[in-house]
Amino acid sequence: MTPILELRDIHTFIGQYHILQGVSFTAPHGAITALLGRNGAGKTTTLKTIMGLTPPRAGEIRFEGRRIDGKRPFEIAALGIGFVPEHRAIFRDLTVEENLKIAERKKGDYARKQEMIFSLFPDLKRLIHLRGTNLSGGQQQMLAIARALVADNRLLLIDEPSEGLAPVVIEGLMSAIRQLAADSTVILVEQNFLVASQLAEHYVIIEEGRSVKSGRMQDLVNDRAAIHRYLGAA
Amino acid sequence: MAKMATLLRKNLVLILTLAVMLALFAAAASGMSQQDFVITLLRGLAVGALTFLVASGFSLIFGLLDVLNLAHGTLFMIGAYIGWTVYVRPDTFVDVLTPLALIVSGFTLRDVWAILARRVPPSGAWGRTAPWLAIAPGALIGFGVMRGYPIASWSLENYAESPVTFSFLAGQGQRVIPAHATFGDASPLVAFGGLILASMLVAFGMTLLGRSETHAQSRVTWRSVAPFAGLVIGGMVVFAVNEPLTAWLFALDTNWLFLIAVLVAVLSGMGLGALMEITLIRPLYVRPIYQLMLTLGLSAIGIEMVRAIWGRPEFTMPKPALFAGSGEGCPAESLWLALQNGCSTMIFQGGRIRVYNEIFVPLVGLVVLIAVWLLLKRTRLGMIIRAGVQDREMVEALGINVRRVFTLVFALGVGLAALGGVLAAPSIGLSNTMGESFLLNALIALAIGGLTSYPGAAIGSLLVGMLQQFIIKYGQIGIAIPFTEIVFKPSPPLVPASTILLMVIILLILPNGLLGRKE
Ligand SMILES: Nc1ncnc2c1ncn2[C@@H]1O[C@H](COP(=O)(O)OP(=O)(O)OP(=O)(O)O)[C@@H](O)[C@H]1O
Ligand SMILES: [Mg+2]
Repeated sequence: MTPILELRDIHTFIGQYHILQGVSFTAPHGAITALLGRNGAGKTTTLKTIMGLTPPRAGEIRFEGRRIDGKRPFEIAALGIGFVPEHRAIFRDLTVEENLKIAERKKGDYARKQEMIFSLFPDLKRLIHLRGTNLSGGQQQMLAIARALVADNRLLLIDEPSEGLAPVVIEGLMSAIRQLAADSTVILVEQNFLVASQLAEHYVIIEEGRSVKSGRMQDLVNDRAAIHRYLGAA
Repeated sequence: MAKMATLLRKNLVLILTLAVMLALFAAAASGMSQQDFVITLLRGLAVGALTFLVASGFSLIFGLLDVLNLAHGTLFMIGAYIGWTVYVRPDTFVDVLTPLALIVSGFTLRDVWAILARRVPPSGAWGRTAPWLAIAPGALIGFGVMRGYPIASWSLENYAESPVTFSFLAGQGQRVIPAHATFGDASPLVAFGGLILASMLVAFGMTLLGRSETHAQSRVTWRSVAPFAGLVIGGMVVFAVNEPLTAWLFALDTNWLFLIAVLVAVLSGMGLGALMEITLIRPLYVRPIYQLMLTLGLSAIGIEMVRAIWGRPEFTMPKPALFAGSGEGCPAESLWLALQNGCSTMIFQGGRIRVYNEIFVPLVGLVVLIAVWLLLKRTRLGMIIRAGVQDREMVEALGINVRRVFTLVFALGVGLAALGGVLAAPSIGLSNTMGESFLLNALIALAIGGLTSYPGAAIGSLLVGMLQQFIIKYGQIGIAIPFTEIVFKPSPPLVPASTILLMVIILLILPNGLLGRKE
């Protein structure tokens, strides 16, 4: 089976800075793959490169076998990729409902997915007419993920969902992400190794803009030396 | 209640500022007769409405695209001149339609050009010269054909045939239908073919030049050639019915003709805006300073072009019949009677006010205010605009073609400016520099109201309009300084100065303007 996503020797520049200097990995269908690495390693840039927001200068990206590098972000998204950016970037001036509606790609997407989204994040239902600014951090994160679920996305790119959230809230998010992974493939950037190791089946370690190690999460969990070397003490 | 209290506390400065302004306003009112006050108020409303049309478009563009469009005033002016042309010289308008449609036609075949472009090697001597091998002959053919088609059928040298004179005659109800433009000796079909060919060559050449950006379809579908066919056929049909169409427009009731003029001005403004965004603004999003310089340059170029086509002298645009009468029953006692008799003026609170300037224009301003507000709050496009103001990348990552939304918003903003221009023309007349004072007004209004706040644009415009009109009025009647014998008469230069002063004061108290967001 072809992997849902495949990156081959990706090089990305931001301005004159050579940020990604060879990232390659594949994400298998229907599983969660965690992107790990220290601060500034290039995890966010990798997700943005897949989305076309920081287009690669060299290398190949394939989604379901089709080349997507060089396409514009809206075209890439329209193929069925949902993006949950870091720092809970919801639209602050829009209400919760508008934040969801804006993500429609076909008429009626929101109406169709409403039930699924609110069963996953019951809190959002009662906040539906509140403006984004007025949500708590955890609620904003839920909204950011929910927004990526409105359209029919087969691949979700989620950047540091647990960042700055209380442990209880993280618990809730984790179970939501686990449920998501039942229907779609997830690529997850996660600093919290405990969270990542409990969620993901596969991992890719990025260091200084290069993918240096990847494999099954199970193996990494047992590899103390690697954890220490690439991620610092875990 | 607690909510009220926090709201009060948060906006204390704003509320105090508004209260002080209200007090000043009341003081201004007490210094003049009620009749003067009402008239000044309405005039302020009129200037405020026109300012708002410029300011709202400007702030829409700035809010979403981060472009300070310094050409906005010039586009306002161009709107006025286009509207005037349709209204006073419909024959010229009809004459322009055919070549315009044909020249645009080739550019709509983008998909075809993109596919053909793949056959041309992108680099090497051939790749570098190929675009110009298409553009140069295209341009030559285009100029050659257009040289034989005299469109500007008024004369800037000959006073008897100048825009000034045509305006005057139209105002008198005398309309002579000039002969329509022809392609000289050339057969029309040859000329059509020439224009279409020219358009195609230039469009193809430009596709070759900007090749890296093309993401067109790989196949030519009926949908991609339909606009081309429509334009070509439309252009030819207009040519065939040129004379009856012109005659019909000349015979049309001026109210309807005015409506058509407004529509054409707005649509041309939108077209011009879209063209400007796609060709000139878009490549420079990464260089905001260049963009600023570019809009400044375009503004000057626009003024020169208007001078070349319509001439330097100022002229008027006659008001439509509904607002132009002065015969029996005028000035009317009520608005209803004024409209019935088509009076240009009416009596209100003892004063004589002009129906077009002081009632119609503010009303249109109000309608636009509400319409744009509904667009922003109730439509998907509005939602995308509001989201895009904050985070364009995320909007794009949701699968929305933000580039297209940018073009649309730019077009919309310029359309609003053009609407302002064509509405202003019958009340303040046309001049090459009419846009500059309104752009300045609009900038001040936006600084006062908060740069990207839509209600702020409305309030700021209103304040600027009011303040100016009150200063002008006091320039005539003088201000009696309390406890003294002195009567102070503000001189005309104080009019712009006063609004700038207001802006400075408000910005000192509220650095983000009245309704601007703190970020
Ligand atoms: N706009 C930019 N200009 C210059 N350098 C940038 C820019 N954006 C990111 N970088 C650099 O690229 C590198 C990778 O950044 P990236 O955000 O991808 O890291 P990350 O792995 O997501 O880190 P974190 O875990 O802190 O979020 C960093 O060194 C960062 O400083
Ligand atoms: Mg990051």
